[in-house]
Amino acid sequence: MNAPEKYSPLVTWPAKVNEIPKDIFFREDVYQLELENIFYGPEWHPVAHTGELPDIGDFKTINVGERPILIVRGDDGEIRTFYNACSHRGNLLETRVSGNAVEFECPYHRWLFDIRGDLRGAPGDDDFSPSYCKEELGVPTIRSAEYLGLIFVTCSDETPDLDSYLGRVKSALATTFNGDGRLRLLGYQKVLYDVNWKAYVDNDGYHAPLLHAAFKLLDWQGGKGEQYATENGHIGFESELKVPKGTDFLNDPCLLEFKGTESSKGSAIASTFPITVITKHMDMINIRFAFPRGVGKTEVHYGYYCHEDDDDEMIKHRIRQSSNMLGPTGLVSMEDASIFHRIHLGNHTPGNVTFQKGVKHEDRIWYDFKQNDEAGNLPRWEYYRKTLGFNREEA
Amino acid sequence: MSQLSNEILLALDNAQNSYIHALDTKNMDGWLASFTTDGSYICIAAENEANNLPIALMLDDCYARLQDRVTYVTKVWAGTFEDYQTRHFTQRISAEAMGNDTYKIITNYHILFTPEQGQTNVLVTGHYDDEIVLGDTPLFKSKKAVMDTNVSPRYIVYPV
Repeated sequence: MNAPEKYSPLVTWPAKVNEIPKDIFFREDVYQLELENIFYGPEWHPVAHTGELPDIGDFKTINVGERPILIVRGDDGEIRTFYNACSHRGNLLETRVSGNAVEFECPYHRWLFDIRGDLRGAPGDDDFSPSYCKEELGVPTIRSAEYLGLIFVTCSDETPDLDSYLGRVKSALATTFNGDGRLRLLGYQKVLYDVNWKAYVDNDGYHAPLLHAAFKLLDWQGGKGEQYATENGHIGFESELKVPKGTDFLNDPCLLEFKGTESSKGSAIASTFPITVITKHMDMINIRFAFPRGVGKTEVHYGYYCHEDDDDEMIKHRIRQSSNMLGPTGLVSMEDASIFHRIHLGNHTPGNVTFQKGVKHEDRIWYDFKQNDEAGNLPRWEYYRKTLGFNREEA
Repeated sequence: MSQLSNEILLALDNAQNSYIHALDTKNMDGWLASFTTDGSYICIAAENEANNLPIALMLDDCYARLQDRVTYVTKVWAGTFEDYQTRHFTQRISAEAMGNDTYKIITNYHILFTPEQGQTNVLVTGHYDDEIVLGDTPLFKSKKAVMDTNVSPRYIVYPV
């Protein structure tokens, strides 16, 4: 699946595939092009998991790029996706981030919509325009599809079907979601990072044992595994689960216990283009919904889940582990958050970012990597470059 | 609710002041010393709290993990983050006797942070839902920091 042929004169890309120009991380003109070509272009964006909306009337709001989205479970049990705007004058229809509703009323002119998105009534409609048609003025819909309960939306009619779009990364997604996607929401951690969205998602496997002191203190080595990329910018990691050996420095090592049953592929990461990261580490199931808040900020909603078949002890364990290990205050991830901001500041210096670990070629892209290679991000960068139409310099 | 004496209210306020002073001076041992040896600490977003979603930002539901949080800050994360100075401002809203020298108090908080570059901003606001035991030294049997700031403006290193 190749990016469409385009050309933009905004940026001339370095000749070597392992070099990325730093100015794309803070240029407003580049950001506007990204919104059009990527966030509103032919890409699928995860916006919710069905486990967040178990009951009729449950809803959630979130952004795709800067466009507000409303996701609702209707009275027929079906989950539908909408642009979060009244079909009349575009007023933001729902202001809450989540909840349960029996209807949605726009307060501006009292247009009333049911939870299937249909317009039920509008005051004064006997005096409306000749072409007014209530049946055609439901909440504006956005195209959606679902994989193992993960709900994707796309702003484009040209986006390929979800199955072929996800391709090889479906395997990592299935591992992350216990194979069947029957999840239940445990809660969120939400944070606004001072970083361009691309630097946020450019986190790599190379840094983990070097940045995170906890790995060394815990004598926590990664199990055997693989990292792979797809031509359309997704990255998958799947590896054997290894539990930490050196928990002596902790007074309560129960945080690091593995209570699951499957460990041959016990750790997985599915990073779907452009910005979503979905992980399973130990007993933590985590979807990181994210969207840019302008060129220099990225909002991330870390959603944590249990499986529908979990017993009370397992749920309690997942809550304890998820609350303390990952996210913006997590034992093994707080340092990631601190690096995001420093990268954003450092990227305002001239020149290019250079990738080294695992770079076998400088003149072409390949798709299989060792799990600690930072080179695994290069196919994503190549897809990004093509999607925005940036030509390479001559070698 | 019976009126608590000024002496008791002062003791409760002293416990809260000791707690926030320990945090504002980055004294993690002092923070740990604010708790009873069966104490617990939880920092959770108001959105989760309101929707009965149990995921927290920090969940130390036993004393051993209170001790471990000191280790996270002083040993595991040391040298990896951009440090920042906090200033906690609190206002006691209610206090109620629960028996056995234990008191339930609700306290609003507002925390400013100043990173090394020097620009001050709001870190989080919310309320504490606490249980304090009055003995020789007033100590927290449980402290829950509920954050109105559902989307925190940065990563958080120190307890709230």
